Amino acid sequence: MPLPRFLRTTSFRLTLLYAGLFCASVLILFGAMYWAGTGFIADQIDQTAASEIKEVQTAAHGSSLADLQKTVADYAANTPQGVYYLLLDKNNMKLAGNIPSVEPILGVRSWPAHDEGGTFKGTAHEVRGLGVVAPEGAYLFVGIDAYELEEMREMVARAFLVGLLGTVVLALVSGGIMSVGLLRHVETISQTSREIVAGDLSRRIPVRGSNDEFDHLAGSLNAMLDRIENLMTGLREVSTDIAHDLRTPLTRLRQRLELARAGRSVDELHQALDQSIIDVDSILETFAALLRITQIEAHTRATAFASIDLSAMLADMVETYASVAEECGQILVGKIASGLRIQGDRELLPQLFSNLIENAIRHSPGGTEIVVAAALVAAGEVAVEITDTGPGIPADMWEKVFQRFFRLERSRTTDGTGLGLSLCAAIANLHGAAITLSDNRPGLKVTLQFPPDQTV
Amino acid sequence: MKILLVEDDKETADYIGRGLKEAGHSLSIATEGRDGLFRATGEHWDLLIVDRMLPGLDGLDIVRTLRAGGNEAPVLFLTTLGGVGDRVGGLDAGADDYLTKPFAFAELVARVNALGRRPREVKAETTLRVGDLELDLLRRTVRRGEKPVLLQPREFKLLEYLMRHAGEVVTRTMLLESVWDFHFDPRTNIVETHISRLRSKINREGVGELIHTVRGAGYSLHAAA
Repeated sequence: MPLPRFLRTTSFRLTLLYAGLFCASVLILFGAMYWAGTGFIADQIDQTAASEIKEVQTAAHGSSLADLQKTVADYAANTPQGVYYLLLDKNNMKLAGNIPSVEPILGVRSWPAHDEGGTFKGTAHEVRGLGVVAPEGAYLFVGIDAYELEEMREMVARAFLVGLLGTVVLALVSGGIMSVGLLRHVETISQTSREIVAGDLSRRIPVRGSNDEFDHLAGSLNAMLDRIENLMTGLREVSTDIAHDLRTPLTRLRQRLELARAGRSVDELHQALDQSIIDVDSILETFAALLRITQIEAHTRATAFASIDLSAMLADMVETYASVAEECGQILVGKIASGLRIQGDRELLPQLFSNLIENAIRHSPGGTEIVVAAALVAAGEVAVEITDTGPGIPADMWEKVFQRFFRLERSRTTDGTGLGLSLCAAIANLHGAAITLSDNRPGLKVTLQFPPDQTV
Repeated sequence: MKILLVEDDKETADYIGRGLKEAGHSLSIATEGRDGLFRATGEHWDLLIVDRMLPGLDGLDIVRTLRAGGNEAPVLFLTTLGGVGDRVGGLDAGADDYLTKPFAFAELVARVNALGRRPREVKAETTLRVGDLELDLLRRTVRRGEKPVLLQPREFKLLEYLMRHAGEVVTRTMLLESVWDFHFDPRTNIVETHISRLRSKINREGVGELIHTVRGAGYSLHAAA
């Protein structure tokens, strides 16, 4: 994998941002440590200076300046390295001590390291000390070499540098690893996409089973690809079917028109024309049904939906078709529970029920009993059943009859577009309803299961 | 009737034009949306026939603009094959009726006649009468002469529609739409079946038939001449 590529990833940029933030927090942390540590050590040094002064004063016994001068001289002579004494009289003249005279300032005072005044020649460190008033207006000062302070500072700075380096290295390495990992997943997805674009519609993004965001993404994308493949397959089949299904009537029409052209009498001509119009109408009917299915499938659910009184709609259907069934020597009865409501399209639902009832009527012989039943089932779902005692459909065809142009008689001689049940399936689908066929022993049972009406 | 047809397809326009002229109507044709709207507002028309898809200005927009401007001329909307939702869209925009292409000529003529004769304000009638057939809308009863006729609710609705359009030709599709609220073509002959039942119920011995079949077009209810 080329280096610049992973440096450009979002995760790497995020890593950099976090590395910066971590560095800042490390800085703040060490700053606080530095401030607290040096403060503590300075306090310690100041206390040492104060106790040293007390010791000198105690060692001097009396309150005379001469005693003090002797003691200071004694101390200054025997001091370990790093402790400084100074005694000035009231005219700032040095009486005793191991450093040159300084300005007599009372209280805690300090000199930076490498003092330019040359007061503390013996050290390169900072010096802290305490000045107090001595008898007869004299000034007593004790200074201590604050090398510990320097050491502390150096230690903190070293620790800070090491910590900072560690943080940066850790952040960059982990960011790099994350970026590479991320890129690999993304690369898998885009590789799959390229293969699909190149024509292999069956390719899917591998799901690793880790159930993380990438698996979810892969799952969603795969579901989308399934849908696309289904649609593509559907489209291909439909194109083939249209070509096949329309060629026959168009050929027939052409033959008839050619015959009519050679026909002799006006009556013959009229007859041929009438028949041709019927042929064209049936072709147009096929087209209309196809377009309708396509449009219903493309329909967005909510557009024309309203709460529908399903009981009333089905009762109307039964009333309408009872007389048609009677004409065919069949009986149509409704067993419809009252007060059933579903969310639906007022224009499409009658077509769904009408298609199913008409199928039962048209494909069943006289004496058949057709029942339209509807009832509330568990969880507020509404089940509609249309059953007949006719010849039924073989079980292995239950799925296939919903395909476009599928007909039980392959000869395609009986009228009908072969699209009726496809249209039903499309309308049912739009309503989120499951449509299934089963054996009514004897006959066919069509079951529609509508989801609960959420508005009531 | 003075009719304006707004249709961009020349063949369809000629087809409609020739037929309507033969039926005795005077017809003008606009082939473009803007021109159509301009002419529709410019003069008085008994009926406008507007295609859904037009160059320049959409058919829906024409109807909407006309209605917004207070123009109440009846509008027959022409929609394309298989259009789900087109019908509702057209009626919502203010059209009075719609017809899906391709259509039989008899269908167009029947609808043009029905629209042309339709009064804009429907009178609040309580009783419809044709010959000795009487339909009481309030009590929902029907009598032929002195004899009461018992009808199913759907048959009553069918008879009411036929009587409201007495003397006119009503097509099978018009009946499906108005009586059954079916906006598709059923594959069984429900209209024929119900008409024949209605006929047998209101039939009276020795008196002429009231519901007449108009061959190739539909039905017409009128008292025997």
